[in-house]
Amino acid sequence: MDATPHALPSSAPLAEPLVRIRGLTLTVPSAAGPVHILRGVDLDIAKGEAVALVGPSGSGKTSLLMVLAGLERATGGSVTVDGQTVTDMTEDALAKLRRERIGIVFQAFHLIPTMTALENVSVPLELAGIRDAASRARSALDSVGLGHRLIHLPGQLSGGEQQRVALARAFAPEPGLLLADEPTGNLDQATGEQVIDLLFAMRARTGATLLLITHDPGLAARCDRQVHIADGRVAEAVAA
Amino acid sequence: MTLAFRLARRELRGGVRGLWIVVLCLALGVAVIAAVGSLRAAVNAGLAADGRALLGGDLAIDTGPEPVPGALRQWLAGQGARTSEVVQMRSILVAPPSGRSAGQRQLVDLKAVDAAWPLVGTAGIDPSQTLPAAFADHGMLVEQIVLDRLGLKRGDSVRLGTATFHIAGVLTAEPDRVATASILGPRVLISAADLGSTGLLAPGAMVRYAVRLTAPHPAAIAAAIPDRFPGQGWRVRDPGDAAPGVTRFIDQIALFLTLVGLTSLLVGGIGVANGVRAWLDARARTIATLRCLGASPALVFAVCLIQVLALACVGIVAGLLIGAILPMAASGLLSGLLPVPPVAGVYPLPLALAAGFGILIALCFALWPLGRAARIPGGALFRDGLIPEGTRPSWPLVIVNVLLGGALVALTILASGDRRFALWFCLAALATLVLFRAGGWLVMRGSRMAGGVGGPAARLGIANLHRPGAPTPLMLLSAGLGLSTLAAVALIQGNMARQIQDQLPENAPSFFFVDIQNDQAPAFEKIVATQPGRPEMHIVPSLRARVVAVKGVPVDQVKATPDTAWALRGDRGLTYAAMPPAGTRLVAGHWWPPTYDGPPLVSFDAGLAQGWGVRVGDVIRVNVLGRDVDLKVASLRDINWRTLGINFFMVASPGLLAHAPHSNIATVKLPRAEEGALLRAVTDVLPNVTGIRVRDVLGALAGLLNQVAAALSITGGVTLLAGAFVLVGAIAAGQRRRVREAVILKTLGATRAQIRAAWLTEFGILGLVAGLIAALVGSAASYGVMHYILHTDWIFLPATLIYTLMGALAIMLVFGYAGTSAALRARPAPLLRNE
Repeated sequence: MDATPHALPSSAPLAEPLVRIRGLTLTVPSAAGPVHILRGVDLDIAKGEAVALVGPSGSGKTSLLMVLAGLERATGGSVTVDGQTVTDMTEDALAKLRRERIGIVFQAFHLIPTMTALENVSVPLELAGIRDAASRARSALDSVGLGHRLIHLPGQLSGGEQQRVALARAFAPEPGLLLADEPTGNLDQATGEQVIDLLFAMRARTGATLLLITHDPGLAARCDRQVHIADGRVAEAVAA
Repeated sequence: MTLAFRLARRELRGGVRGLWIVVLCLALGVAVIAAVGSLRAAVNAGLAADGRALLGGDLAIDTGPEPVPGALRQWLAGQGARTSEVVQMRSILVAPPSGRSAGQRQLVDLKAVDAAWPLVGTAGIDPSQTLPAAFADHGMLVEQIVLDRLGLKRGDSVRLGTATFHIAGVLTAEPDRVATASILGPRVLISAADLGSTGLLAPGAMVRYAVRLTAPHPAAIAAAIPDRFPGQGWRVRDPGDAAPGVTRFIDQIALFLTLVGLTSLLVGGIGVANGVRAWLDARARTIATLRCLGASPALVFAVCLIQVLALACVGIVAGLLIGAILPMAASGLLSGLLPVPPVAGVYPLPLALAAGFGILIALCFALWPLGRAARIPGGALFRDGLIPEGTRPSWPLVIVNVLLGGALVALTILASGDRRFALWFCLAALATLVLFRAGGWLVMRGSRMAGGVGGPAARLGIANLHRPGAPTPLMLLSAGLGLSTLAAVALIQGNMARQIQDQLPENAPSFFFVDIQNDQAPAFEKIVATQPGRPEMHIVPSLRARVVAVKGVPVDQVKATPDTAWALRGDRGLTYAAMPPAGTRLVAGHWWPPTYDGPPLVSFDAGLAQGWGVRVGDVIRVNVLGRDVDLKVASLRDINWRTLGINFFMVASPGLLAHAPHSNIATVKLPRAEEGALLRAVTDVLPNVTGIRVRDVLGALAGLLNQVAAALSITGGVTLLAGAFVLVGAIAAGQRRRVREAVILKTLGATRAQIRAAWLTEFGILGLVAGLIAALVGSAASYGVMHYILHTDWIFLPATLIYTLMGALAIMLVFGYAGTSAALRARPAPLLRNE
């Protein structure tokens, strides 16, 4: 491993790791034969830590995030989030875990196009059975500066506004872990910076643990630690 | 245009995924209309091909209750005609006093034929023998069912009237059966020479005489009869008119079936509109690309139209093939149900008509979404990836669409035998579409207002009903239109069955006894009075009369409404009475004094009077036993025919008519257990009297109605199938959106149960509303048919409506469950990664 003096091994013991990944593999079948996407990832993320996941396209970053969120089934290894083994959980248990502990922000926003901004943010709160879902969603949209766009549909919002709605949606249930997959990838630089400022401000306010996938070195540098992924493995981990 | 074809061909080469629903919907609707039309044409061809045999000759002259006059016989012989005379009446066949079914009675349709019968075709007899051999020594031929019911075999003796016959064999084929059909009793064939010995030909007996002939120039004979024998009121028919009742029946059934078929095509039209719209939505980016590359709206429209029409043609041709082949394939199955064997073949006219309907439906429903797509600027498509709501096609296209809709209505009306009914059908179909659209609007509006109701899953499901682009109105229409048709058919069938059932215990008599001679009336009354079970009896005089003129206008020139014209044809019952019959309700004029002995007066049916334009004081001329009698209308009566009591549309004053030879007709009501004994007692003492059991008649009618209802139900089922296709299409069109939504909801922490509950809430509400509207439409349609066409009361049948509701709910939930299962199976990662 070609580590810098500040490098930390990916498996270095951490106090109270929120996320613990051990020997994680992901192989998918294809016409040309099995494709090994993750080839034994080991990674710990401490509670409250901000980790940037960096690496070339196709290195397995998004797949790692998907497995972590329970949206993709691992082929081998284990993932625990807050003491719960994600890799052993049923679909419904995974849904419950996401609902209660994990917020996700995507590059393509993934808002429901037929729902208004307010409805999009309300959905996870309603699913969690929170009684004042609408008022909490309204506050969340206020906090991202979209209090005046409550009844607009995603198609009526700009890209930056859509990503702010997605941020409000992810933070509204106050998750312990926030996963962000290139959240500025579809935005221009200025808008992207606004969104990232907002993301970090909200994270600071809630104390959520952050795992952020990015190609932007500047953005990666704002995290506590950078983990480089290459060819389905953790290549190096660098402390900020 | 060449460019449009070239572009369309290139795109077609890449597949037309999404337009399959257009092909399916059109194929199904066109197949139904083509099959019904082809079957009707095949039956009509059967009637035409065997017209001479069915009629029994080149010409048939029905002289009604009067025997064929000698003058006519001689004149026909002078014209070089070969003639054959046939006498028909109903009678009772009595099994021998000993044996398995000792003394049992069977109502039969008696036909007495002369030695020349049949002039055309051959009678089938089992065991094979000649007619003279069969008729020798009072021989009789019967249908197999007579043997089965009375437990008889060949050689057994039976009594008919006062004569005893032996059963010489089974009548297996009767060439003129269709022209002389009767649903009331099986056929019994005897020699005309033996008829006199039965004592059945008493004065005033209900009997029909006819002479059939073959001649070198039958048309000339037909043309000469009115001049040679003026004012006779005989009915002269040629082979083209061999079985007018059958033709009318077939035409009416075909009309109903065609309209039900048209409903399935209409449902298919909704599928076409939806399929084209979904296809255009999926192609929005391609269209936008073409627009950005310089394609004009007209070119985009032409390219899309060519593709849709190409697919529509595939659907229509497939429908025509099925519609042409199906009747041929099913002719074996149908031969027992149809009055004549259909002539297998390809009938271009009904196929062309079905193709016309298919093309008009395809254009009517495809032009609107195509026109909308053409109007969208490329940029707008790129932004949303969807064709925005609320855009309408250009005005010229809207006008073309309206004209095509008009052409569809015009074709429906012009192609129908009953244009007024077809017009009502079109209006009802339009009203139904509007009703479902309004229902969709109400559901969307209601769900928006009920936003906070229920748990998270229910709220999500309810919200799905009103979201932008929600297919709520379409789903309602897809499930509801077919169900409406089925509900209407079920309600009409249920109403008819209920009326037949309900009439019996309350009002209906057990028997009609006909041909009771005046001198037999006291004996008859005595027999009935001595029967156990306290029988109720009504006996009235019965004459046969033929309407000759109404208000001085000869009968063939009287302008009567279609539903009252029947009473102008042939001979009808007529009675006389000094006092108004029990339950008489006069709506105009007055009843004559009990001792009235002046010029003949008549109390006339108010319904017929309205149809004929007759008022109190007008004169109706009738012919009674060859003599014209002028009856002045003294009063109009409201007659409730459904009581099944004795009712004549003309009740005359006594006097002149009382002196004419006539018989009597009676009704008797008594407990069911005593029915057999009464029939036995009457026919033992009065062998010429015929007892007709009302229960058997209604049973025969119910059987016929059930066959018609089965045909309608099958066709209605096709409408439901068309609706199911459209529903599947609608769900499939929205499936991408649902999968995406499910993945995002899962990402946000929704469990599968929550997502499923949300969607089932959505589909459940749609099902309930579709069922409610279908029940409403079905009720309205069945009310219209019962009240305005069948002129009878409509009965509310809650069970049928509940079945409709449950059916709609079940259909929606099944399709909804299938759709959600597919969406829930989708893996989230690929979708989240790719977008």
